[in-house]
Amino acid sequence: MQDNVVTRREFLKIGSASLGALALGQFVPPLVAKAARQNGSLDANGDGYIPTICEMCVWRCGVLSKVEQGRVVKLEGNPEHPHSKGKLCARGQAGMMNTYDPDRLLSPLVRVGKRGEGKFRKASWDEALDIVAENMLKIKGQYGPEAMVFSSTHNLSQVQFENLLNGFGSPNYGTQRSLCFNAMVTAFSLTYGVEEPARNYDNVEFILLTGRNLVEAISTSETSELVQAVSRGAKLVYLDPRYTKTASKASEWIPIRPGTDSAFLLAMINVIVTEELADCEFVKQYVIGCEEIPTAMSSYTPEWAESKTAVPADTIRRIAREYAAAGKNAMAHPGWRTSNFVNSFQTERAIATLNALSGNVLTSGGCLVAESPEASGVTFGKPPQPPYPRISALRLDGVPWKYPLVPLKLGVFQELRDAILNGQPYQAHGWFISRQNPVLSLPDRKRTLKAMGKLDFIVDVDIIMNDTTWFADVVLPESSYLERYDPLMAVSGKVFIRQPVIEPLGDTRSALWIYKQLGERLGLGDFFQYTDEEDYLQQQLAPIGKPLEELSVKGYLEPIQQEQTKNEITFNTPSGKIEVYSETLEKAGFPAWPTWEEPPYPKPNEYYLLTGKVAQHTQFGTQNNKLLHKYQDDPRIWMHPSVAQIHGIHTNDLVKISSPIGQVVLPALVTEAIRPDCVYMTPGFGHLSKGLRIAYGVGASDSDLHVTYTDPISGGQALSQTFVTIEKAA
Amino acid sequence: MAIKKRYGFVIDVSRCIDCRACLVACSVENDVPMNHTRIWVHDLGVKGEFPNLQHMFVPYNCMHCENPPCVDVCVSGATYKDPENGLVLVDQDACIGCGFCVDACPYEARYLDETRGVVDKCTGCVQRVEVGQQPACVATCVGGARMFGDLNDPNSEVSIALKNASMVNRLDYETGQHDTDPNIYYLNATGLQNIVLESSVLPRDPRYNLAEDGWKKVLVPAILTGIGASFLVQATYFTKQLVEGEKEFEE
Repeated sequence: MQDNVVTRREFLKIGSASLGALALGQFVPPLVAKAARQNGSLDANGDGYIPTICEMCVWRCGVLSKVEQGRVVKLEGNPEHPHSKGKLCARGQAGMMNTYDPDRLLSPLVRVGKRGEGKFRKASWDEALDIVAENMLKIKGQYGPEAMVFSSTHNLSQVQFENLLNGFGSPNYGTQRSLCFNAMVTAFSLTYGVEEPARNYDNVEFILLTGRNLVEAISTSETSELVQAVSRGAKLVYLDPRYTKTASKASEWIPIRPGTDSAFLLAMINVIVTEELADCEFVKQYVIGCEEIPTAMSSYTPEWAESKTAVPADTIRRIAREYAAAGKNAMAHPGWRTSNFVNSFQTERAIATLNALSGNVLTSGGCLVAESPEASGVTFGKPPQPPYPRISALRLDGVPWKYPLVPLKLGVFQELRDAILNGQPYQAHGWFISRQNPVLSLPDRKRTLKAMGKLDFIVDVDIIMNDTTWFADVVLPESSYLERYDPLMAVSGKVFIRQPVIEPLGDTRSALWIYKQLGERLGLGDFFQYTDEEDYLQQQLAPIGKPLEELSVKGYLEPIQQEQTKNEITFNTPSGKIEVYSETLEKAGFPAWPTWEEPPYPKPNEYYLLTGKVAQHTQFGTQNNKLLHKYQDDPRIWMHPSVAQIHGIHTNDLVKISSPIGQVVLPALVTEAIRPDCVYMTPGFGHLSKGLRIAYGVGASDSDLHVTYTDPISGGQALSQTFVTIEKAA
Repeated sequence: MAIKKRYGFVIDVSRCIDCRACLVACSVENDVPMNHTRIWVHDLGVKGEFPNLQHMFVPYNCMHCENPPCVDVCVSGATYKDPENGLVLVDQDACIGCGFCVDACPYEARYLDETRGVVDKCTGCVQRVEVGQQPACVATCVGGARMFGDLNDPNSEVSIALKNASMVNRLDYETGQHDTDPNIYYLNATGLQNIVLESSVLPRDPRYNLAEDGWKKVLVPAILTGIGASFLVQATYFTKQLVEGEKEFEE
């Protein structure tokens, strides 16, 4: 560890060294300085604050970057941005350390050794891009465009990534979504016609969090609002088999048996409708199926739910009554990573129903707002482009031919991986990956690596040598979020900008530039009609009629708001109402009502393997960040003292954890904070890439243990459905 | 007449979520070496038996004591309590790096910066406060647990928070001969007294384990002497004292 101890001064030295022999103190980066000096963000010495948008997670807080002589020295939350409100979480505060990571990729690389050996040579951008284009065209020519798979995770330049794959003509697009929120998005889309309802904590009196560990899976503004609400007396009921930090703030922690959330929620619905506690007027007017709900839910009594959930019937009944008593000021939170069991879709349907019963889903005044948090009333322009080529090939991820109800944009990533491996319904030959680490994120990484072995060509865009990059043939180094422009972002009627606050380190480029360069080499130049990043942003701003300079200085713009007066509430569903009863589901052969589906249970001696989130890291991408490493808890396997006793394990003893597909070893944490039928692994560790000198060799990855199970309705991967055995490691 | 400032922290323990944004913010703002930290979130560990559990987090840093033991032992006069703002600071040009103050601080809130040969610690981000900003830890506190301001100003956020509090605790180090009289005030720390004597349960990176050592050091005299050594003394800081302070301010 001592080798990794670098002070900030040292890392700044590393950063500036890579900029070449520019004299410090006189060096003011030309591109940034020109704009920032002209607009007054930087003074004559090159010091000042430049606004931009964070990219340490997908929440995208507003940031004010303190810059001194071309270096970022501090990041502050932008008070004007609704996602940060002046604050940044630990990851946001540590953001510059991603940029100044000594392990940054600073030049395009071409593999020279075997895949996974980590031997690369530097290449020029021209050479690297030529190699990528040549291979992609070769695959297209020999096997058709569908033989090229594309994948990327939530980011602002995704729209141009999608342009690349749609222009290329491939239907095969993998995102993180099926590993994350497919169940929530699919359920809310079917019930309300909105992918992710917004939450409003202003007047909330009762909050029901179903496994939503909002205190550790931080979305800065929402986490702040939750803590504030609890502080002023709102009741927080939290369902989780693990006593997380959210549980420590809850009024009531319900250590529910994994996989049975929907039983608890269905019983709540049962109590509310049989005791006639719902907002009748609202339900009658806006809910499809309202008359039949009591009959449809009649078998889900609290006593029945107790047998499934291990939560006393009286507790369920009391919570249901308390929830109903709070009326419109009650919120059943939709959750976020809801890929837990193959029945997680039903959990989300029950949550959607609970909100409908409390009548809180009005577009204003309620706690759950039946419109997307991204709904902003802002319409951006975009560069002109031709229509996409018609695609006739089946999607490898089975949407919709195997998964009829999974929205096309969500997809089923784990199924896509399996199709690459199995060559069914056809063999893929190439993979273009951007800002994603499927080697760690997908379940069963042996299978992921095997699938990669089937491919002729893999290209990866990233800022560090993550585990997927390690197995790539060509590596395209992107500029970090502090060094580049990305397409604009609209939140709550304001337009925000991500812009370079320093010059890019090394020979790195923005995604907008990379995709355009590649597009041109692939004969898709018409899909990238912008001269550079600023031109792209200017075209986006055209309908708003305000100059880029203004946005650049303030970090945001407020376009003239179009009056959005809604006299009537309508929902974007086939009926225009909230579909607790869904004909769409019925037609597809699934239960039309929120329904109990029995989950699998572990055998004696087996444990549920839980995964989760820590507040100091984002998924698998930040473990090499020195500042976050400094303040993280080292990865552990949690187990209840009664379990530890059975196996003769003490805290810090090494424990071997075995699942049907693999084994890992981790030090134990013996704690009361978990159900005795579960173990929990700290997420995000277990990196394979030796190009991550801090993260490599630390902890273990749940992708070595997770079995691939897919929910047939939402396509979500069931991440809590793997059962493991444990023993003290020799 | 106007009185001098007395900067201090008020921390609402019920709002600390142990996210450690404050720790990272402090490290960056103050160029804290990677093997040191200036502030901590003390993890009291999961208490109770499944499923009746409790878990509390107590953020702390230099207490900017009214009677700072570190000042008393400083041989070079480098450590001082700023007469204008009440912050306990180190004049690093004068510091000879002897480390006596590091040992003297019952909170172990100081460290010797080996590379520079000087002692360092929380400065209340005086460089930020002077230009009207909040300390880095306070500005970014996601749970809104941390507050900072002039305790002598009855209209400051910290004074108002204390005035409205039903109970206030401090981590007072009181041995009979010495009372540090610290300037970090804790709100909603109910129940802390009964559970503070055990060390943390959750493992930390060793570099961050300083926190536990520091707390043990405070506790040892309390356990051994068993006399007036009271830890987390229920503060005498109630409305009465604040009202008096207010009067003083008006005069």
